[in-house]
Amino acid sequence: MSELKSLDAPDDAGFDMPAAVAEAGRCLLCHEPPCSKGCPADTDPGTFIRKLRLRNITGAIRTIKTNNILGGVCGVLCPAARLCEKECSASGIDTPIRIARIQRFLVEHAARIGFKPLEAPASREKGADKARVAVVGAGPAGLSCAAELAKAGVAVTVFEARPEPGGAMRYGVPAFRLSRELLRSEVSDVKALGVEIKCSSPISGRGAAEKLLKQGYRAVFLCPGLWGETRLEAGPRPAKGLYASVDFLATLAEDRRTELRRKIKGRACGVIGGGSVAIDCCRSALRLGASDVYLIYRRSYAQMPAEEDEKVSALREGTHLLALNQPVEYLGDASGNLKGIRLCRTTLGTPDTSGRRRPQAIAGSEWTLDLQVVIEAIGNKPVDDARGWYPTVAVREGGLIKALSADGRTSNPAMFAGGDIVRGPGLVVQAVQDGKAAAAAILDHLSRKRGPCAKERVAR
Amino acid sequence: MNKKKPDLSISFCGKRFINPFLLSSSPVSNSAEMVERSYEAGWGGVAYKTLVSDRIPITHPSPRMHPYHCGEKKLVGLQNVEQTTDRGLKPNLRDISYLKKRWPDRIILASIMGFSNDEWAELAKACDAAGADMLELNFSCPHMAVEGSGCKVGQEHELVEKFTATVRKVTRLPLVAKMTPNLADMSVPALAAKAGGADAICAINTVKGISEIGLDDWVPKPNVFGKGAISGYSGPAIKPIGLRFIAELAMDKRLGLPLSGVGGIETWGDCLEYILAGASTVQVTTGVIHYGYRIVEDMIEGLSDYMAGRGIASVEELVGKAVGRVHDTGRFDVKRQGSARFDLERCVGCGQCYIVCRDAGGFALEWDAAKRRPRQEQDKCLSCMVCSFVCPVDGLISFEEMPSGWKRRPTVTLG
Repeated sequence: MSELKSLDAPDDAGFDMPAAVAEAGRCLLCHEPPCSKGCPADTDPGTFIRKLRLRNITGAIRTIKTNNILGGVCGVLCPAARLCEKECSASGIDTPIRIARIQRFLVEHAARIGFKPLEAPASREKGADKARVAVVGAGPAGLSCAAELAKAGVAVTVFEARPEPGGAMRYGVPAFRLSRELLRSEVSDVKALGVEIKCSSPISGRGAAEKLLKQGYRAVFLCPGLWGETRLEAGPRPAKGLYASVDFLATLAEDRRTELRRKIKGRACGVIGGGSVAIDCCRSALRLGASDVYLIYRRSYAQMPAEEDEKVSALREGTHLLALNQPVEYLGDASGNLKGIRLCRTTLGTPDTSGRRRPQAIAGSEWTLDLQVVIEAIGNKPVDDARGWYPTVAVREGGLIKALSADGRTSNPAMFAGGDIVRGPGLVVQAVQDGKAAAAAILDHLSRKRGPCAKERVAR
Repeated sequence: MNKKKPDLSISFCGKRFINPFLLSSSPVSNSAEMVERSYEAGWGGVAYKTLVSDRIPITHPSPRMHPYHCGEKKLVGLQNVEQTTDRGLKPNLRDISYLKKRWPDRIILASIMGFSNDEWAELAKACDAAGADMLELNFSCPHMAVEGSGCKVGQEHELVEKFTATVRKVTRLPLVAKMTPNLADMSVPALAAKAGGADAICAINTVKGISEIGLDDWVPKPNVFGKGAISGYSGPAIKPIGLRFIAELAMDKRLGLPLSGVGGIETWGDCLEYILAGASTVQVTTGVIHYGYRIVEDMIEGLSDYMAGRGIASVEELVGKAVGRVHDTGRFDVKRQGSARFDLERCVGCGQCYIVCRDAGGFALEWDAAKRRPRQEQDKCLSCMVCSFVCPVDGLISFEEMPSGWKRRPTVTLG
């Protein structure tokens, strides 16, 4: 391997103006654009691309940011190939229009030219009458909900446990994939609407969310995300050299890297899993200087849930793919250091509930791979004490909150929820939509609460 | 901070338009059903498809239009042999009345074309009675099949004056005379229209042209069952011609009439250029034929943002702002000279600049074949800037003024 890639510099510079204009020039400007129907957050690419095509660049930016306060982040992180771009009519002629890249370009361009399409509402309700809403978590769902509420003149306070806003966008996605600058710029758009974001302000203790209602917040939007670790059941675990993806990525994001680099540089590293997070871990480990990075996955390449372009990037950068292999047990030395992993080969049987063919261990196929570091990237779940924050809110098995996907209503009429805490690990763009939908429901709730329908609501 | 929304409304011939964006008289303004949808999209008014008397029935040739595509860029021009309306006068008048009642804040210019002096008067009276806000006198259709009409009138200034005066006598509505660009000097018919009583000038109608000839059948297009014609050409390709005529009319102190600009408008930037050149309203057809009525949304938003960004409160402040900046080329200061400046950090090594500089410029570039980069000899650069026109990298080649006393090397003489 040649020079190490940077952990921070985005690996893709994106479009410049001529490239974006040329790509928009390929757009067929469809009637009732199918791409727009393909966006979970109604970002409306059909309109913003037409605007770009007609040199209404500020208008194009306004369309994106009005519909999707995190339009720039979505332009980077969206798996567009299975959303808007999948619907693109130009696919019938050539390749789909690269919508996400155009979207990202327009939002970055707005920052470059200092164009702010959204303004805080001029007149706000003052004093006691002013509706206040609390948002728990400054991830994509929370930021989106807060922005929508602020646009409607509601005072919003976002409580964020970590030192900086962004949630999974900040602490779950490596900086080489999503530039911190773009994220900061979009967060500042939310703040500019008048949203107060309190960082390093975790809510804690039993009934913490309900307490917010008592403190005068008329509604609470719960979107704390999934920061608990799902761990592998693979026998005894050596004390040193084992990581969970949540911690590993967050440590990188918090710039506590020196220690991590020391542990990984020059060592052989395994990543267990097949999703986007596993890919991010592989690519991060390579950038930290691992001598070898093995992606250990129990099914085959095609079944990996990670996006195609991510998988290809990881392989191109030097990840070794160990498909059809599943972990059996960790091997440690006397001082508790990980020294290897027992794997066994698998074949694919009949489809399981996920529709993917079930891996079956091949008897007698066990083998040992020498590794000094393993990162388990097999899933996230709610943190253990989350359940206690909102005892009046019904949850499903696994701790996910029961909420209507259309508007985020929960079993408590003043509590709403969205993002990963409701749907499980999902996309930023879905979380944005959850935030928008919940904001509409919260506004409805606020207007009813002050109107004659209040009793009806309470009775529900 | 909340900024006040820029005001796009504008006065033209004493009428207030909610914005300067109008449909021009053409297939896009053929009926109330269509115009109403354009109003819903946001257009400020319409020059309604030209009305004629029922005396001579109009039948359009078939097909009646042909696109001019330039490479992969669609519809840079549009050829048409469209005639005036082929609907009866009465249904059109009823449509005009309907639109005016239903949409009182939108301005209707009823476009008319008489085939005799009396017909001009009759049409004017009928449109006045139907509720039209203004009349647009069509002196400019380049391919009318009826003798003695269209741009044949527009090229005879006595007829322009006579027909305008005829209309002036029968109505108090503002009169807009629509000019053909198919002449050398538009001031002659424009002044004739003014003498006849016109209140404003609209320019330009389509440019006479042939956009394409069939290579198999040798028939100009549109091919109307084996026959072609020299006919009206419109679209982005003619915008420079339209801007020229609007600027000339705006600069003509003898004229002093408000102007409506037409020709090749697609974007808010195109609209603004016409406004800067002196137009108070702008009219669009080919842009709508290409993209639909929806483009007005981008005109409104784009122009509003432009104005807000520059602190311009009203679009009226922009009318004619470029007029004082148009000069005879003889007044240029040629003591000041510049040259092309290359930012080779971002060069992709295509070498197009090298080709055009040798074949169309000053031989000012050498080619480093190993590095695939041009090397400029700045004192040979003619500052024609053709290198920058072909460069695929935005802003890589820019124009730079040279210090006074800088000398360009003379062109090499052979033999």
